[in-house]
Amino acid sequence: MSTPVLETENLVKVYGRGPAAFHALKGLTFEINRGESVAIVGKSGSGKSTLMHLLALLDEPTSGVVALDGKPVTKLKPKVVSGLRNATFGFVFQQFFLNPNQTVLENVTLPLKIAGVSKSERNERGMAALEQLEMADKAKNKATDLSGGQKQRVCIARALINNPEVLFADEPTGNLDTATSETVEDILFGLHRDHGITLVVVTHDEDLAAKCQRRLIMQDGQIVEEQTGASTAPPTAAQAPAASGEPSQPKPATRRRLMKFGKGGAR
Amino acid sequence: MRSLDVTKTAFSNTLRSKMRTFLTVIAIFIGAFALTLTSGLGAGINQTVDRIFGGFGEDDVIYVVPQIEADATDQDGPPEYDPDAAANMDSGFGTGMLTAEDIETIENTEHITSVSAEVAAQIEYVETAEGGQYQAQFDFALNDALAEVAAGATPDRGAMEIAVPEDWASIYDTDDPEDLVGESLTIAAPNAVGQLTEIEVEISGVLHGTLAGVGFQPIPSVALAEEVAEINLEGYEGQVSEGYIMAAAEVENLEENEEAVKAALTDEGFWPMTLEDQIGMFETLIDAITWILSGFALIALLAASFGIVNTLLMSVQERTREIGLMKALGMSSGKVFGLFSMEAVLIGVMGSLLGIGLGLATGFVADAFLTAEDGPLGGFAELSLFGLNPLAIGGIFLLIVLIAFLAGTLPAARAAKKDPIEALRYE
Ligand SMILES: Nc1ncnc2c1ncn2[C@@H]1O[C@H](COP(=O)(O)OP(=O)(O)OP(=O)(O)O)[C@@H](O)[C@H]1O
Ligand SMILES: [Mg+2]
Repeated sequence: MSTPVLETENLVKVYGRGPAAFHALKGLTFEINRGESVAIVGKSGSGKSTLMHLLALLDEPTSGVVALDGKPVTKLKPKVVSGLRNATFGFVFQQFFLNPNQTVLENVTLPLKIAGVSKSERNERGMAALEQLEMADKAKNKATDLSGGQKQRVCIARALINNPEVLFADEPTGNLDTATSETVEDILFGLHRDHGITLVVVTHDEDLAAKCQRRLIMQDGQIVEEQTGASTAPPTAAQAPAASGEPSQPKPATRRRLMKFGKGGAR
Repeated sequence: MRSLDVTKTAFSNTLRSKMRTFLTVIAIFIGAFALTLTSGLGAGINQTVDRIFGGFGEDDVIYVVPQIEADATDQDGPPEYDPDAAANMDSGFGTGMLTAEDIETIENTEHITSVSAEVAAQIEYVETAEGGQYQAQFDFALNDALAEVAAGATPDRGAMEIAVPEDWASIYDTDDPEDLVGESLTIAAPNAVGQLTEIEVEISGVLHGTLAGVGFQPIPSVALAEEVAEINLEGYEGQVSEGYIMAAAEVENLEENEEAVKAALTDEGFWPMTLEDQIGMFETLIDAITWILSGFALIALLAASFGIVNTLLMSVQERTREIGLMKALGMSSGKVFGLFSMEAVLIGVMGSLLGIGLGLATGFVADAFLTAEDGPLGGFAELSLFGLNPLAIGGIFLLIVLIAFLAGTLPAARAAKKDPIEALRYE
């Protein structure tokens, strides 16, 4: 088994200082394997977004370690971290964060522009990504001209443009209707399945969470439960400790999902 | 992010809020416009001065006048009268004149080959062959070196000749200055008791007026001036003190001996100046005025730079989310800083290009209009009020871009410092 793409050790995040200090994360230790799909679920305010930001190197933990491919990143220079974010991660944010004054294509290719890719290659890869999401015909439109579902697909295209190893999605279906949500979910899991992308999804959506191979259930800054497989039923006593103890070992339930999804997690 | 992409993105960002960018550019434009005009004015006038004196640069002549004592202005009340003063003084201290003795001293200075002295010559009127009498005053005979002729030549220093201003053509009922050359003119010189002596002279040439003030009065030959001065002194009772206004000393190999001659003359109580020194004085003055005017333009630019700070701060605030997104997607703080600095620089470039372009156009058009033959300042042939100084223009451009960049650093640093998480949370 290869090293986990992401692992954390005793991750702590404290907002504020002194008496006003708020412990958003209270010492989390877990791993996310290459090609895995993981949902982070929990009540509002439980620390899901905070955790995702730390995993995605958008924020620094108060204490503890985040390691990417087995290497701790906490001590890296900001510029190196920026580079890693640009090259290794894709983001689908809760809000769309599309630049309204730019075309769909320009929005999609922004990560490549930041990476310093030439304009012709940018456009080529941008069109390919849009095609993948059946949005090629809207490439020249302004980002504001799109429907909610279309915007979300543009965001996904943007997240995929640099062939990321890990795709982070914070409430990707949070403000979409059921039908569109399903489309977006299909796209995300299709990518996971077909390209072996590691998927980290923060969500309230039970359906979406259920489709992930693993679910980290958070409460008050702690992972109180870990579920594997498609089931949303409470885990058995045997499953939970095993999952948190040896997350890199695929569980039988996981295998079952793998069969269903195909080659995704096997890498 | 590539530099080309940074520039392009910055440019399209400046076009996003066109009105705001436009107003900021206007402020820069005004500064650039004013700086271009003032520097062009300085360049134009300096070019004029160069042109006036240019032809005489090789003259191996040092002009000598009596030194003005520095403490002369500091004394309390007028000095006591000393009847022997003019005769006894070595140099013309106090009288502002050089004595015959002074001229001798100058002549005896090493490296000086010859001296011509300028006498004060008074005339009453001039009379043409047709009999018309006109009021006139002699210019210095030694100013012939500075004169610019429209026709004929400057008077031969030893002959009884005179050069007259261009506008004197009207008294000969002609438009062509050539017609005046060779005509005769009668000079009436008064003596000490007011009796007039007439001298007939020939017009050797016709003069253009120059900005140095030469050519608006007739220039006599040295011989004529001396003759008139002698007549002026006739009938003078008592001691006659010969006085010279200025002396022109011919120096052998001026370039090499200039310092030595000047030092020697200064020690003797004279104030020696070459033509170049005089041009230098002019240009120093013009430069000083240009700098003062440019100072005002710089103040305008300084005000404009705050416009850039303001505009970009607003822009950074408005684009907080966009900045957060770019940082989240892996843009380094340095590049974010670069992007916003580039926006400031582009505003500077737009303002300065517009300002310099329009400033040059305005300068040259105004110059052409003012100094045209029939324009308000058309009388001076060699006058130009506006000149192109590529170095100064380049300097202005760089200065404005630099100011714009500096103005942009504060907003750009603020943008670079933004935390991606907080920026993305920003509503
Ligand atoms: N910058 C901050 N300063 C202080 N407290 C913060 C800050 N950011 C988050 N918090 C607190 O940390 C806790 C966890 O926040 P987080 O955004 O991770 O919640 P969440 O699980 O994503 O909630 P939701 O499902 O509503 O998005 C919350 O109580 C929140 O108030
Ligand atoms: Mg959240």
